[in-house]
Amino acid sequence: MSAATAGDTPGGAAGRSAGTPRAGEAGEAGGAAEARTAKEAAREGAGSDRSPEGGRTGGRARPGVAVLRLHRTALLVWGGYVLAAVAVLVWTVTVTADAALREQARCVGEPVCGIAATLAYGDRIGMVATAVCYGFLVVAAFAGGALFGRELENGTAHLVWTQSVSPARWLAAELAVAALPLLLGSAVLVLSFRWAWSAHRELLGTDWTFADVFVARGPATAAYCLCALAVGALAAVVLRRALPALGVSVASVLALNLVLDGFRPSLWPHVTRTARTPFEVSGSAWQIENGAVVGGRRTAELGPHLCDGTAAEVRRCMAEGDITGYYAAYHPPSHFWPLHLAETGIVLAVAALATGAAFLLLRHRTA
Amino acid sequence: MSEETAALKAVGLGLRYRRRRGHVLRDCSFRLPAGRVCALVGPNGAGKSTLLSLAAGLIRPTEGTVHVLGTGPAEARERFAYVAQDKPLPPQLTVAGTLRLGADLNRARWDAAAAGRIAYAHHAPDGDRSGSLDPGARIRSLSGGQRTRVALALAFGKRPELMLLDEPMADLDPLARRELLGALMGEAAEHGTTIVLSSHIVTELDGACDHLLLMGGGRVRLAGDPEELVAAHTLLTGPARDLTGHTVVESRGTDRQLTALVRPGGPPGDDWRTAAPSLEEVLLAHLRNPGAPDLVTEGTVNP
Amino acid sequence: MIPSSLVPRGPGRSVLRLHRAALWTWLSLVAATSAALLWAYGPGHESALADALRQCPDGIALCDRTSGPWIGRYDTVSALGTIGVAHLSFLVAGWAGAALVGRELENGTAHLAWTQSVSPARWLAAELAVPALFVSAGTTVLVLLHRLMRDGGRDLAWASWYEYDVFRADGPVAVAYALCGLALGALAGLVVGRALPALGVALAAQLAVVVLGNEYRPKLWPVVSVTGTGSVDVPSGAAHLHQGVITAGGARRATSVPCDFADGPNGANGVRCGAEDGASGVWATYHPESHFRPLQLVETGAVLAVAALAVAAAFLLLRRRTAAASPPAAAGRAPGSVPADGSATGASV
Repeated sequence: MSAATAGDTPGGAAGRSAGTPRAGEAGEAGGAAEARTAKEAAREGAGSDRSPEGGRTGGRARPGVAVLRLHRTALLVWGGYVLAAVAVLVWTVTVTADAALREQARCVGEPVCGIAATLAYGDRIGMVATAVCYGFLVVAAFAGGALFGRELENGTAHLVWTQSVSPARWLAAELAVAALPLLLGSAVLVLSFRWAWSAHRELLGTDWTFADVFVARGPATAAYCLCALAVGALAAVVLRRALPALGVSVASVLALNLVLDGFRPSLWPHVTRTARTPFEVSGSAWQIENGAVVGGRRTAELGPHLCDGTAAEVRRCMAEGDITGYYAAYHPPSHFWPLHLAETGIVLAVAALATGAAFLLLRHRTA
Repeated sequence: MSEETAALKAVGLGLRYRRRRGHVLRDCSFRLPAGRVCALVGPNGAGKSTLLSLAAGLIRPTEGTVHVLGTGPAEARERFAYVAQDKPLPPQLTVAGTLRLGADLNRARWDAAAAGRIAYAHHAPDGDRSGSLDPGARIRSLSGGQRTRVALALAFGKRPELMLLDEPMADLDPLARRELLGALMGEAAEHGTTIVLSSHIVTELDGACDHLLLMGGGRVRLAGDPEELVAAHTLLTGPARDLTGHTVVESRGTDRQLTALVRPGGPPGDDWRTAAPSLEEVLLAHLRNPGAPDLVTEGTVNP
Repeated sequence: MIPSSLVPRGPGRSVLRLHRAALWTWLSLVAATSAALLWAYGPGHESALADALRQCPDGIALCDRTSGPWIGRYDTVSALGTIGVAHLSFLVAGWAGAALVGRELENGTAHLAWTQSVSPARWLAAELAVPALFVSAGTTVLVLLHRLMRDGGRDLAWASWYEYDVFRADGPVAVAYALCGLALGALAGLVVGRALPALGVALAAQLAVVVLGNEYRPKLWPVVSVTGTGSVDVPSGAAHLHQGVITAGGARRATSVPCDFADGPNGANGVRCGAEDGASGVWATYHPESHFRPLQLVETGAVLAVAALAVAAAFLLLRRRTAAASPPAAAGRAPGSVPADGSATGASV
């Protein structure tokens, strides 16, 4: 510390002339007079307002509070969105399910039967599934655009960095303050969706393998949100402009999601079942591939219905085609968690990489 | 001790952008003693804002080092204040909210009274308070000058040991300029705060500063006490003749008559009429002649 | 022959210069989508067809089970192509609201243009005309390639012409929606005056137009109505809309599923449907595939009308705002002895 600190506290000034009017109101224009009034003001202000000493016992800066102050609207919007989604789920399951169930009961054994209520029920649950799963796109837009991009573009970030908060600490505060509500909100969304989705499975046309249902039923939802946050931060730090960062971060996380969507069945070893006779795997399984075993080789191009007819006909047909059996590759429903957690891990790893890159780049750029 | 610690010291400081040609800032070395009010002057594009950004630690130099209050900009962060040229502020906050932001981000040092005085107190001869800010007004609804006032309030509230102000006067009306200068002088006198304020208008700072840095073409051209700088120059007028022995900053004239601004190397001959130049003349002469040698008066460069 | 209007001059050229990054993004997007559509039309379709024929040597039409690696890839690419072309208008709307108009107003570039020799109206005209040119051209190319892909892939396609995304990607409505997005985006940018909020407003407005379009599409052209005693004959490939029974009094009552829904011989269930109140027959309405063209044209007109309204509103708003010479009223909250400086308060247009 240099000795210059000696000058920065108006020593003994606190407590003097507490009742005097604010110097600023009584002052007059003019350089010399200004200098004097400013001096007096410094003393009187210290007495009449909160004393600087009182302010200084506060200790470390509170960037988290500052982040909240800056992004209160976004927090309210996120809270509103979570509440709205939960409200739709609760209303759908508790209020509208009865009509759909009555409809289903009435339809038992009836070849012609209106199922409008059932369809509406499934639509609403499906809508929430889409919203919960793809909410990370909005998070990416917000993180790249409003949270980091705009601050870097219009210089607010520079304003903050020249307060008592370092760039790295500010980035950490923004990430943490955004991550906490995202985690909490995702947890609420996932738990309510799990409850709503399993409440009346017979009314739904979706199963656990549907992309949005798959993501919305576990921690991958939160992982995608955190990843979107991190990628948004990285895009903003790289590009330093709000709209390009918004576009790049949304496109990046969407690409990540599409790629993982494509590779989803490969993230955990699947089960392969073979048999001499054609068979169907359980309807709840996620069938990846099936076909015939021809000459000891599995060929997906040949379906299980190649040989029809009587037992003798089937035997002859199989012998002719050198078909020794049939196989199916699939994920049983019990693979949901390993598959889901593998995807969650990958997404979190991408999030961690993006976060690390953002911090590195920021440190490289600023002193 | 504060005499020895420079508030701001640059050694061979330089910055170049990879993809753009040339340096934005090149080989800057100077030393600003603590407690001074320093004018950072120079034409547009001279590198003033870059120098201040480097000092504030917002960007990293590609060459050399900058020391702020005896340490690096990052370590000194809590002890200096910086106001950027375009006065960025979160547009969605109110004036009061912006000051609370300052309090949150500078908990160790924040002086609400000092900030409030700059933001809310307005000195007008007839008691007109229309210039003072409404605490509930949103930043986005403020005029440029009003925004400058809030940005400065944040700087004052931090109670810094060093203020780095980039073009703080640009948006202010003449009355507000005098007011700001008064407040800055008061701050310097009361607390020993070092103040660096940039401007491309030389005259507006004349008399208010006891230190001067002239920048041009990314270099420090002149540095030192303005009076010493002026005293180091002489304006010579006389018949065209050899000027060897003097350092010529600028010479103009016809075959018969010559006017030159020089740093005298000895007593000028009898046929020269000598005059003391004004500060503005010295500065402009250096700006017009990029080839003229730089001058850093004694004591400003650290041994 | 290149019309001289294709070579932008004055404000048009400055629009191009200001939004060069957007232009390149758009061109690469169109190129990438075109490549995907062409792949699906050519090599993708070929490989998928080979996949299918290996499983169904007697012909795909007779085959109920077609799957395979190439079929999967073909399905994915063609579906993504359709989704992409169908949703381009959102990209245009968001860009127009945020980057084209919102940001220019927010950071004062628009004011800069207005204080050059360009009137605000001419500025807006250039802002709209130049992107409109590129948006129309790019979308037209993509629509043509999409049609090519769908016509070539009829044997493997499972998406029908009346599905939301297919319909919006397969004809002139795609261009209309894209232009509508441009107009709504520009209007949103002008109204909001800030880049990121304008982005949200523009997307919401475009979403509303698209949802309304999906909702009211069947009403844009007279439907075909058929009646029958036990069952009705709706041609394959038609968009089935409504159905019901004709009561004894001759009135039509709608039912939520067709009375001949089940497999029973000769509409056995139609009898049951009618039995409820002594119905004399059943009815159904639908759009045959031949209605694709008139539906496209009418919807194109309607969407272009919305776009025109938005453009007109934008010009009106701009004229009202810039004609008022007084300092911006939006800045009203802060009384200032310091005169409000328009260029410095760029945000508060």
